[in-house]
Amino acid sequence: MSGPRRLSVPRRVAVDAADDGRPLVVDSRDVDSIRESWLIEDRWWTEKPLRRRYWEIVTTCGRNEIVFHDLQSERWWRQR
Amino acid sequence: MIVCVLLPRFALTTAVGDRRELLQTPAALAPEPGGAQQVGEVSLAAEAFGIHPGMRLGEALARCPRLVLVAPDPAGVADGWERLLVRLESVGAAVEPERPGLVCFDARGLLRLHGGVEGVLGAVRRVLHVPARFGVAPSRFAAVAAASRARSRRPEIVAGGSAAAKDWERARAYLAPLPVRLLRARAALADLPEALERLGVKTLGELAALPAASLADRFGRAGLLAHELANGRDSELSPRPASEFLREVLELPEAASGTQLQRGLDLLIDRLLARRERRGRTIRSVVISAVLVEQGGTWREQVVFREALSNAVRMRLALAPKLSLMPAPAETLRLAVQRFGPLASDQRALLDDPSAARTARLREAIRQARAVAGPEAAMRVLEVDPESRFPERRAVLTPFEG
Repeated sequence: MSGPRRLSVPRRVAVDAADDGRPLVVDSRDVDSIRESWLIEDRWWTEKPLRRRYWEIVTTCGRNEIVFHDLQSERWWRQR
Repeated sequence: MIVCVLLPRFALTTAVGDRRELLQTPAALAPEPGGAQQVGEVSLAAEAFGIHPGMRLGEALARCPRLVLVAPDPAGVADGWERLLVRLESVGAAVEPERPGLVCFDARGLLRLHGGVEGVLGAVRRVLHVPARFGVAPSRFAAVAAASRARSRRPEIVAGGSAAAKDWERARAYLAPLPVRLLRARAALADLPEALERLGVKTLGELAALPAASLADRFGRAGLLAHELANGRDSELSPRPASEFLREVLELPEAASGTQLQRGLDLLIDRLLARRERRGRTIRSVVISAVLVEQGGTWREQVVFREALSNAVRMRLALAPKLSLMPAPAETLRLAVQRFGPLASDQRALLDDPSAARTARLREAIRQARAVAGPEAAMRVLEVDPESRFPERRAVLTPFEG
């Protein structure tokens, strides 16, 4: 039997973003609207701080998704 | 150190039986009744026409109109494969079968017993009695790749590099010049080699040199897994538990179906329950199989009981409906125990406490689900830090313990 497994683990996603950081295309799907955006910063007192800009978006095909831009590694992730 | 034993075209060779001459002609396993219309394993002559396992039947026939379709023999393959696995286990190998014809085991615990790698391979060769190809490498994927390049009398052993080199470095160096199509050995990566080749990535070395992040962006999890494999890393083996083989066979004098078959099944159940090797244990799951008339191949069905049984009447109730799924009358009917349950001394109380009964039923349901789908069939969501601002820290999945 395996040990505990984390839920809601972020998964890599391909995102084209505008200059201001706003996602335009997520996984080859155009973004129709942005519902919300928020910034989370944590563990800034450690060697590995976490800085994420979250975006809740709706794509043109109707999918509601939450993606974030890892401001440390400059990579985009999807999270549920 | 992982040893891979490869028996090429095992399912096709088993289905062909005595008609060995078919293997010299373009031949392929026909689709199973009720399954997807795709060919199974194919002969070398069929491969020359560009036919490969999993190809749509229509396309295969279009490429080679004289392709011979061989009726599949799932029961024969399962029986033959089980016999080979038991032989491998008899030399002490804890085997992890990937598919019929391909099995891996970790040889580290056997080296001193048999006198080194060559000794292990010699012991395996002696018990198998059939020509097989052997690959030995630090990782499972590298061992499978080595076995696919080996010859039946010349095993491929990956031991290059300096003594200080780590296992994964040796595996990566070995895999580097090999083509990416070897990734097809993993079901999850079956479609990846074609896309990689179209992008100009021909060898596993070129794949390993790509940044993991780029592969993740382009191919998702499959890309990351392929990158790990190309770099000589692989997950640990998870060997199967050694099993007991208990089976009853009934030859039917005339091709049987309907009521006659039902009587045959009743007889097999009674015989199976009377076997001394059962030692009073209940039966959790069985495999019912049949040889069909006029070389119609074989038929096989696994049945997991809702609760472990030792009652012939209840077993009949569960098994009888399966007989109607048989595609043709049978010449031979077989019933084999796949997994035993606890001893048959578990008795229900006359007046059960409702909550205790519910808990017991829940536990039983979990055991059933795990018998069918493995240990991860029933899990519990455990909140570890529900207030965390990071979703991945809020909850974990742990095995449900009832």
